Amino acid sequence: MQGVLGAFRELDSAVHAIEDLKKERVGDITVYTPTPRHEFDHAMGHPPSKVRLFTLIFGLAGVTFGYWIPVWISDYWPLVVGGKAIATWVPFTILGFEVMVLIGGLATVFAMFGFAGIPRLTTTVGYDARFSHGHFGVWVATEADRAEDAMTILKKHGAEEVRRER
Amino acid sequence: MATTATPLPSGQRPNVATAAVRFPAVKDYEQVDREIGGTLGPSLGWFAALGIAILCMLIGATTWTYQIHEGLGAAGYHPPVMWGVYIITFVFWVGIGHAGTLISAILYLFRAGFRTSIYRVSEAMTVFAVMTAGLFPILHLGRPWKFFWLIPYPNWRLIWPNPKSPLVWDVFAILTYLTISSTFLYIGLIPDIAILRDREKNPIRKAILAQLSLGWRNSDREWRHFTRAYLFLAAFATPLVLSVHSVVSFDFAMALTPGWHATIFPPYFVAGAIFSGIGMVFTIAIPLRKAFKLEHYITLNDLDAAAKLCLFTSCVVGLAYLTEFQVAWMSGNKYEQDYFWNRVFGQWAWAAWIMLICNMVLPMSLWSQKLRRNPKWLFILSLFINLGMWFERFVIVVPSLSHEFEPWQWGTYRPTWVDYGILLGSFGWFFMWFLLFIKQLPVMAMAEIKEVLLPRLKVQFNHSHDLPEGIDFPDETGKVH
Repeated sequence: MQGVLGAFRELDSAVHAIEDLKKERVGDITVYTPTPRHEFDHAMGHPPSKVRLFTLIFGLAGVTFGYWIPVWISDYWPLVVGGKAIATWVPFTILGFEVMVLIGGLATVFAMFGFAGIPRLTTTVGYDARFSHGHFGVWVATEADRAEDAMTILKKHGAEEVRRER
Repeated sequence: MATTATPLPSGQRPNVATAAVRFPAVKDYEQVDREIGGTLGPSLGWFAALGIAILCMLIGATTWTYQIHEGLGAAGYHPPVMWGVYIITFVFWVGIGHAGTLISAILYLFRAGFRTSIYRVSEAMTVFAVMTAGLFPILHLGRPWKFFWLIPYPNWRLIWPNPKSPLVWDVFAILTYLTISSTFLYIGLIPDIAILRDREKNPIRKAILAQLSLGWRNSDREWRHFTRAYLFLAAFATPLVLSVHSVVSFDFAMALTPGWHATIFPPYFVAGAIFSGIGMVFTIAIPLRKAFKLEHYITLNDLDAAAKLCLFTSCVVGLAYLTEFQVAWMSGNKYEQDYFWNRVFGQWAWAAWIMLICNMVLPMSLWSQKLRRNPKWLFILSLFINLGMWFERFVIVVPSLSHEFEPWQWGTYRPTWVDYGILLGSFGWFFMWFLLFIKQLPVMAMAEIKEVLLPRLKVQFNHSHDLPEGIDFPDETGKVH
């Protein structure tokens, strides 16, 4: 992976640089920001996260499994008390709910890991420790022939530092 | 430094929506990293506190070893009271564990501003409180090494636990709550661990932090999925908070015992849990705020807002107490009536009056804005709330069991030194984990505080439109912002 990294002190400079880079189609852009900012969401124009689909699917799977466990246990070892039904859905709703939250919640986290690409073994290429403190970073993954264009745009918008990385 | 700020002029309300108002003394992102990251260095006071906590925990562990050797009879159990300090303390710690997720998840969904500065402390408190609570059902077992029999798995006996039993519901509820709360705490910590990783100079510590941060790089892709996942986790955790203490209340409400068999128990337990949890947040956050010099992060406005929540839950709890009496009075059930009469004027009246005074009467002081904005008073009140909420569970457990239907069954309960030793040990266990946590990981969400601050801009905008008239308020020094 090779490209150009720009470090900005100001949010608006980084946003304007992204807009120009997108207009010029220099390469794939990654933004680094110490905290989530809607300005970058608008500039990057990404679709909404698909994490929610996993939350829904695994939440439904969880509630199904959560009901199935007590029904199966009750059927396997029937304890007839006062002539009541073996499988009683009212008390089993508690287990259904808890298992839904457990599986749905964990699936949400693992989906987030998958979509966000973490755990990651290395952070070195295209990253700078300043981006977790106060600077905003713009990484443009581009071939050598377009790298100069990317550097020019980043510098034009006031990047504090622009460097090539590979 | 004065600890009481001047109350707001009549009719004025602090606006907590803007950075200038939320954190007036916090200027930029670097200051957040420097000041909150700076709390991680161990101090003499911290070592002393940790030493005391470990000592208390060792007393508890030694006492438990004695109890295992001697049998459960070493505790104060005596017919008819076969649930005592252990179940009282179990419910107490589960209750403490509720405010963390309440502050973290519910206030996140409602976008309550005061959450930002106190939610990390609350979440950590939740996880350690539930870890503490989880010990008590095991301590309460005659053969604690058989605790795993409650977990449904196909074991060699081919006997499954009864899924209609509230004790099995407890296992599911508490384990789910512990898992989701721990996950919620850890997920929220990832961006902050990445900040610490990037600041760290020691290579060994840096490598550990790099592993814990999962290689987080603050990219737009990571944030996009992170914020969604965090929102959905909060949405899951919110009903979970309400369900877990409802399930704990079913341990009582499913029995026919006078004083327990009531449909009001789930909401009553949930409100009590939130109330006690906020009390513990004050007990922990106010000394931390002072010791770490974080008064400009946990501001008086934040304490004021949390105190209002405390007042509200106190009113709900008070209403539940009174409703219980009213229901007993109107029920025509002489056992219920006799039990509630006995509660306030009988054998256990002293415990009931401690409960009523600490949970219903003293929190009414929070109608005063001056007291809501006085950290010293909030801390003292929080100690009374902790005491009152422990006695609330005492009043629920002991008087009911000691005063059931038949007079020949009536009895008394006297905890032994074993009960007190394990109770002390539980506080040692809880505070040991908490003290270790606050020196390894940040006590405040650095990334989230930065989100509230205005970012550095090339073109300066006039943000005065964010500050409508009437929002000026004084900080602890009396300076008006």
